[in-house]
Amino acid sequence: MVPDFLTIAEAGALIAKRELSPVELTQSRLTRIERLDRQLHSFIRVLGEKALAAARSAEAEIIAGRSRGPLHGIPIGLKDIYETKGVPTTGHSKVMIDHVPREDATSVRRLSEAGAIVVGKLATHEFAFGGPSFDLPWPPARNPWDTNRFTGGSSSGTGAAVAAGLVLGGTGSDTGGSIRGPAAYCGLAGLKPSYGRISRAGILPLAFSLDHAGPMAWTAEDCAIMLQAMAGHDPADPASADRPVPDYRAALSGEAKGLRIGLIRHFFETDNPANEPTRQGIADAVKVFEDLGCSVRELRLSPLADWAACGIMMMLCEAYAIHEATLRERFADYGEAFRDRMSLAALISGSDYVQAMRLRRELVAELARAMSDLDLVITAAAPSEAPTFDAVSKFAIFERPSLTMPFNVTGSPAMSVCCGYTEAGLPLAFQLVGKPFDEPTVLKAAHAYEHATSWRAIRPRAPLP
Amino acid sequence: MKTQGMTPAEVEAALARAGLEIPEREKPEIVGAAHFIEEMAVRLRRKRAMTAEPAHIFPPPGA
Repeated sequence: MVPDFLTIAEAGALIAKRELSPVELTQSRLTRIERLDRQLHSFIRVLGEKALAAARSAEAEIIAGRSRGPLHGIPIGLKDIYETKGVPTTGHSKVMIDHVPREDATSVRRLSEAGAIVVGKLATHEFAFGGPSFDLPWPPARNPWDTNRFTGGSSSGTGAAVAAGLVLGGTGSDTGGSIRGPAAYCGLAGLKPSYGRISRAGILPLAFSLDHAGPMAWTAEDCAIMLQAMAGHDPADPASADRPVPDYRAALSGEAKGLRIGLIRHFFETDNPANEPTRQGIADAVKVFEDLGCSVRELRLSPLADWAACGIMMMLCEAYAIHEATLRERFADYGEAFRDRMSLAALISGSDYVQAMRLRRELVAELARAMSDLDLVITAAAPSEAPTFDAVSKFAIFERPSLTMPFNVTGSPAMSVCCGYTEAGLPLAFQLVGKPFDEPTVLKAAHAYEHATSWRAIRPRAPLP
Repeated sequence: MKTQGMTPAEVEAALARAGLEIPEREKPEIVGAAHFIEEMAVRLRRKRAMTAEPAHIFPPPGA
């Protein structure tokens, strides 16, 4: 009997010891998807036969002594903006409902080469932007902790599927918080790596200069395992960084002693005020880091609204440039949330875009200066637990400044880490941010925190029988 | 925050100029959200040195 919930590290260790069969593990996830996803809607396409064939192949390789590492035989899901050879990649949109790529995205190919089993394609906000929406070809994913609640977006299906144990890990993309938001609301670990760390080639773009691909999983260790497979230079992505890929798992000692952490309190106390459970969760997390031997001091940056304005204006302009022609020709084929938000881009001038780019340079320098004597910064990942669907307005992304967008503007590695649960049992989270390409320190601190607390032992129950 | 205060007619004209065929039902909501863009634009427009470079300047191939 395969347990309902396993981390990638746990399953990988069992597979390596031949105590768990990749075929059994994959079949158990397919059974679980069949049983639960009618309520969660996290998948828009399940690749059952293909996944089982890949699992049988993985099993044969492992039995023959040709293990590819800790992802070999692990079932994962792909946000449906990651292109997959011969398998439709729709962006969860009617606009691309017939799009069948000829190649895998670079990151998909790398995950497959590491032995991961792709179980299916996961729900997303339309083109990683418009949602949650009920007027698209597939319904929005629902939060496994409470199916009346939003998963966060845009990597909504990945958040739901991983939290519910339908897959052990999944891919997300993050242009303004689309990995960290769903990770926070669904209780996962979600890592937006440095800009350029993971290739964007073969991933449907939202905004070229802000798009990041990354892993979502149950733990920091699982994110490290996935990042190891996904990272690396790719000439097909002009923003790809040509620098060595460190051993991310090696950084996970369980220790965080000596790390210097800056707390950006004003982001979540005054600029976008978080609710009391979130503030308490962050205060408790700071205490945990201090007990682990870290030093924590407060840090003040430009107002959060400046960071958000910079990022959102760039995002709208770049996304509008991608969709402009199709919006003119097929406006009604987009969902209302996407098309109405995107219409606002028509009000932005070319000068505004350049001013945003000038501000970006200033803000990147500001964070670099502020972190000159720090290893990490900590702030909120979301202002509250997951809201109900009816509490999310069409223009919500403009109403309060995003807590996650600042680190898309700077391209810094940033991770959502679960820091407890509300009285109703909904996950809370904080955000850890590192210096560019210092994912090892982000993962090291998140891993130490997870091991110093008991939150990773709690999994969603309702509606799960 | 002060904005330039586009009128609803100006917003609708800008959308029409962009060639977007927006259903009548959705126009009021979009017009009502236009102030978000104006407020963000104000935050971008700052007194800067003429030489203040944007972030997307890049070295040419071979540099």
